[in-house]
Amino acid sequence: MTFNSLSYFLFLPVVYLVFYFTADCWRWLVLLTASYGFYATFKAPYLLAILLMVTGISYTCGLCIAAQQDEAIRKRWLWIGIFVCVAILVLLKYLPFLESHTNRIFGLNNAISVTIIIIGVSYFTFQAISYMADIYLEIEEPEHHFGRFALYMAFFPKLLQGPIERAGDLLPQLKQPYQFNYDAMRSGMLLFTWGLFKKVVVADRLALYADQVYNHVHDYTGLSLIIGTYAYALQIYFDFSAYTDMARGTGRMFGINLTENFNSPYLATSIADFWRRWHISFSRWILDYIFKPLQLGWRNWGQAGTALALIITFLVSGIWHGATWGFVVWGLLHGIYLATSTYYRPYQKLLHKWLRIDKSKWLKWWQVFVTFNLVCVAFIFFRAKTLNDAIYVVLHMFIGIYSYIQKMLVGIVGLEIANVRGLLRQLLIDQPQSEFITLIFFLLVLCVTSQLKKRIYIYDTPIWYRWSAYYLLFIFISFFGTFNSITKFVYLQF
Amino acid sequence: MTTIEALNQIFCMVFDDDTLQITPDMTANDVDGWDSLSHVNLITTLEAKFNIHFTRKELLKQRNVGDLIADIHRKLAAYA
Repeated sequence: MTFNSLSYFLFLPVVYLVFYFTADCWRWLVLLTASYGFYATFKAPYLLAILLMVTGISYTCGLCIAAQQDEAIRKRWLWIGIFVCVAILVLLKYLPFLESHTNRIFGLNNAISVTIIIIGVSYFTFQAISYMADIYLEIEEPEHHFGRFALYMAFFPKLLQGPIERAGDLLPQLKQPYQFNYDAMRSGMLLFTWGLFKKVVVADRLALYADQVYNHVHDYTGLSLIIGTYAYALQIYFDFSAYTDMARGTGRMFGINLTENFNSPYLATSIADFWRRWHISFSRWILDYIFKPLQLGWRNWGQAGTALALIITFLVSGIWHGATWGFVVWGLLHGIYLATSTYYRPYQKLLHKWLRIDKSKWLKWWQVFVTFNLVCVAFIFFRAKTLNDAIYVVLHMFIGIYSYIQKMLVGIVGLEIANVRGLLRQLLIDQPQSEFITLIFFLLVLCVTSQLKKRIYIYDTPIWYRWSAYYLLFIFISFFGTFNSITKFVYLQF
Repeated sequence: MTTIEALNQIFCMVFDDDTLQITPDMTANDVDGWDSLSHVNLITTLEAKFNIHFTRKELLKQRNVGDLIADIHRKLAAYA
């Protein structure tokens, strides 16, 4: 059951009604049962067993760490907990990789990994590690109530693909008594619907272009490859931020505020800024539990220590996404972008000051453009099916661009409509023109809405305005949403 | 010169701002340019100036300037 399925639209109100009519002291049990039930719909009983195992281990280790005064024993419990969590994650994630290699070496024909799904495992494992590390660092107290702790690990809105919640942020909220709040319910429902709109109307439409290009890369060159890459960059953002909106919207209905995962990442002015705005709960996690310990340990190496810590952190992030060279290159590219920036950034700032352009709006937009394109180059390796496909895209994306623009201009100036149409078809990547116009229209709707949201608080507007917006959103989802085949969210696979 | 005055001087030097006045509840969000790179510069400068060595755990636990001051005082007292 995913957030954009009919079964979830039925599941959510039923769970809420049971939750609402249950006494406060048992509400955690309602949410925990609902969360395990939600996870069970993936028809993989081992997933529930793994969730229970990680929950039990992190709960026990948390209590053992807190109970000990001896630093060496505390550290031992922390490492036991981390080792078990990482071992479970690595084994599940790299089973297909290990299986294909052992099959090849020993001439076997095993196919266990084909049936294995790992939805959600990464996210609750990361949460378990952060919980144990925070207790070890004495930032958090351990949770003694096993039921509430299990709910912290399994709370269904964030179970499948985050946000990765810190114990200090989520556990206190799960302990608070629930009181119906009309504003929270209304804004939660609107946020959920807004997320649904972004997923089924925008992200799934962008996927048509990205999938067409990346499933048949050798059929395309030049502009089509660039359009396909930009379409993927937008698709993955709208898909993932849609999921986060739906998760946060659901959480809000139950009086829980989950972490915001995105803050206009494609308006970042540098790669470091991008990582402060993209998948925020994950980037905070890798920063606090991988980068900082490495960087502080290597602090006597100066800038080289920081650069190396950045490269290793993002390499780990790439490997976490999957056992393919594409993900490794994606992680390495981000590591290299950030590592090199630690060297040139001070000089870049001085140069901008010397040229007196440091406060220029043009400079800011230029930086946004460059950052977005650097991110897109890395996404080529993330999305392409194989490393060879990715290399093909990089080598062929600028082929014929000049002649394309030239032909287009000649066609327009010389009113050679047939010529322009032919070229447009290439631009549209074999999709109908109407589809392209619809997509552009909805991207404009998103741009206008994001600007309006900065100036107008929707609940302060007159009732006719508000309800027109609600109806419009409903119409857009009903008539332009992709419901004929329920598509999965991109990040569910990680 | 007290420890806090010496610490303030190091902050001014590392963040290139002579007007900086540290307070116990000050965090990285309150100081322009206090990022992970400048944090490492700050720590290595502090260690050299006070002739102390922070453990990794101590550094990861620090949440604000107050935590940093407390750790410096504790270490100086232990070394004395």
